[in-house]
Amino acid sequence: MSTLPPGFRIQRETNTEEFFINMGPQHPSTHGALRLALRMDGETIVELVPHFGYIHRGMEKQAESMSYLQYIALSDRQDYLTAIQNNLGVVIALEKGMNVGVPEKAEYIRVMLQELGRIASHLVFYGCFGGDLGGQTCLLFGFKEREMIHDILEEVTGSRLTTNFFRPGGSRYDVPDTFIPRVKAFLDHLEGAMHDYERFLSKNIIVLERSVGIGILSKEDAIAYGCSGPVLRASGVNFDVRRANPYSIYSQLDFDVPVFQNGDCYDRYKIRIAEIHESMKILRQCIDKFPKEGPWRSKEKPVRLPVGRYYSEIETAKGLYATYVVAATTGEKPYRIHTRGPSFPHIAALNKMVQGHKISDLVTIMATLDPVIPEIDR
Amino acid sequence: MGIINYAPKILDPIPGGKYVVNLVDYVVNWARANSIWPLTYGTSCCAIEMMSSSMARYDIARFGSEVFRASPRQADLFILAGTITRRMAPAIQMLWEQIPGPKYAIAMGACTISGGPFIYDNYAVVRGAQNLIPVDVFVPGCPPRPEALFHGLLTLREKILKETCRHPWHAGRPKDVSTMDRYREAAKTWAALEEMKDEEMAEARAKFKEEHPDYKSAFKPIRIKKEEFPEVPREPKGTAGLSQSELFAKLRAEFPKVTVHTHSEDPIEDVVAAIPADCPLEVLVEPEDYLPMVKFLKENPDFDMDYLIDITAIDYDDHFDMVTMLRSIGKGHKLFLSVQLKKDFSISEEKRPTALLATIDSVSSLYPGAEIKEREVYDMFGINFKGHPDQRRIFLDKDFVGYPLRKDFTHSEIIRRPV
Repeated sequence: MSTLPPGFRIQRETNTEEFFINMGPQHPSTHGALRLALRMDGETIVELVPHFGYIHRGMEKQAESMSYLQYIALSDRQDYLTAIQNNLGVVIALEKGMNVGVPEKAEYIRVMLQELGRIASHLVFYGCFGGDLGGQTCLLFGFKEREMIHDILEEVTGSRLTTNFFRPGGSRYDVPDTFIPRVKAFLDHLEGAMHDYERFLSKNIIVLERSVGIGILSKEDAIAYGCSGPVLRASGVNFDVRRANPYSIYSQLDFDVPVFQNGDCYDRYKIRIAEIHESMKILRQCIDKFPKEGPWRSKEKPVRLPVGRYYSEIETAKGLYATYVVAATTGEKPYRIHTRGPSFPHIAALNKMVQGHKISDLVTIMATLDPVIPEIDR
Repeated sequence: MGIINYAPKILDPIPGGKYVVNLVDYVVNWARANSIWPLTYGTSCCAIEMMSSSMARYDIARFGSEVFRASPRQADLFILAGTITRRMAPAIQMLWEQIPGPKYAIAMGACTISGGPFIYDNYAVVRGAQNLIPVDVFVPGCPPRPEALFHGLLTLREKILKETCRHPWHAGRPKDVSTMDRYREAAKTWAALEEMKDEEMAEARAKFKEEHPDYKSAFKPIRIKKEEFPEVPREPKGTAGLSQSELFAKLRAEFPKVTVHTHSEDPIEDVVAAIPADCPLEVLVEPEDYLPMVKFLKENPDFDMDYLIDITAIDYDDHFDMVTMLRSIGKGHKLFLSVQLKKDFSISEEKRPTALLATIDSVSSLYPGAEIKEREVYDMFGINFKGHPDQRRIFLDKDFVGYPLRKDFTHSEIIRRPV
């Protein structure tokens, strides 16, 4: 069996006919430009090889000729569903280099926008998960509430999707007076809407049939492949950067980290629903504690980093998002910036999850991993 | 459309025939312009806005385009949502060939118009979709709002309504004009216009000055109020698990050659103790110690580094720094191993850009997740991993020449600097 295409490894003796299927790069359920090569035995997947790079935009090379502030704008375009969270990841690394602190009000603004971004991303997951299983209604549902978050984000940052909002020491602007009432109104609305959402999918017999026991990722595999975020926590590992290495003011807030034990598609769905509820809890606390007065950023300084290496990590909706900044000379330009996105290891672990399943199950598993391909390829 | 295109030839000579032709035209155009079915295609950010536009709030169904087809053979419209990379370009051309005519393309977003944010210093992005396929409508924005996409769709609708059986749709040809040429052309035209305007206005300005010798403009630019902000000290938040000093002492007991990067004369323990609590400890490791050390860190119960965050590298003049980021899920501490790999300068200078300049052991036998990370480092830096099960390029084409994240990587044809 030396004639296998590149990437395939399993050697097996079989009487049945094996064949190979190409999926992507333009395919509705690969969530972007990802190409999967499948090795099939009848209808069963024997092995899967992902091919990346169809949306490799050379961001890291480009960042070397940009200033630090310009890179914040590039980080929007990595994981565009959680753009506001990526901004924070970059900014925290820069703050470590510049050694600037953040006033209390700015921290609250940051945490609230973070959690709004998390809800928005999970709502897209909800929509795509339902849509990939054949329920187009879910797609309409998920995007309905997401538009309300986009309205808030647009009012605060000036942009719906690519926010480019945070700066070392705070943010670009103060939040408007309408921010808190709008978030409050949105939470009250989402409370009722979430009830509908869960009634829609959580006990739906089609969803249960297609997701319970499908694509099981064991605890050991999840850690070994470097999975993070909801995918890791659905496999029974209690790891959340907000708890393990609290950044911003997460250590002062009271929230739970939901953990599920089975590691199948249904658990990965349930955990995201539970996280939306936790995010709402955090937002309600922030609304109560939000300081009305006080500075919303610290003193503005030129963004120049002294020589050194700076690392930051945050928990985005997808998982561990780390930024590694190398400054070889004191100045405005980085020597190198590297980003560790959460989706990359998830796709690497995909092969483990799909073996022995059908192609329709692959679509379910891909949906519950919730990958964003530009963040993998960068 | 075939038969209808012959209608004028047959019917026009007949008295009153052209009215019949016009009526048929009207009906056909009405049908075509109100049911433009787009292809489900999206690579990046713009795709999300395209999805938003088809959802409940914006509702693309008002314009008859709600039927997103997964197969190009059923689609009329190709909305190019998202950046086009060199690797994706052949797939886009193939998709375009597969759509049956009459077919239309909308270039959505700055990336597909000119390269957008990725126009300069970039080796991977195609600067403009019109170099690949003929584009009918350009929708600017990064990403454009759904309303902007609708404006593009309505513009396309107007274009379709102008197509009659006397001027039928014809397949356009891709224009292979580089973006820079068009940009320079536009800049030239703009400068000429400004000059012309200046000349035209000179007389009026002189006249105005004569009539109002002491005129002062009442215009005041609106600025955001300059506020004074206090300086806030940064409080490093402590990390869980072993502290940096403990980590370093324990590691040094096992591997005495381990150091940290420093320029000061102080004892190494003081340097480690001075690292802020939220900056992970980064130790310098000899290449031959690397694999045993990773194995030790993974298996030793004190360290218990079971989680690989990332592997990356940094290119310097004479060496690569390969950084392996490890973490313990149970305990919570992090440790970064930095391996200095001397570049192999015995390779002749002409061959150096395309040659693998350094070799290191692969850790993919310990961490399965390291496999793709090492492939990325191999792809971007040209570092050879000994014992890697599947060392192939991961992001770039297998016939790509050179390793882009090296500092001396140049490619005058595809990398463009700002003018």
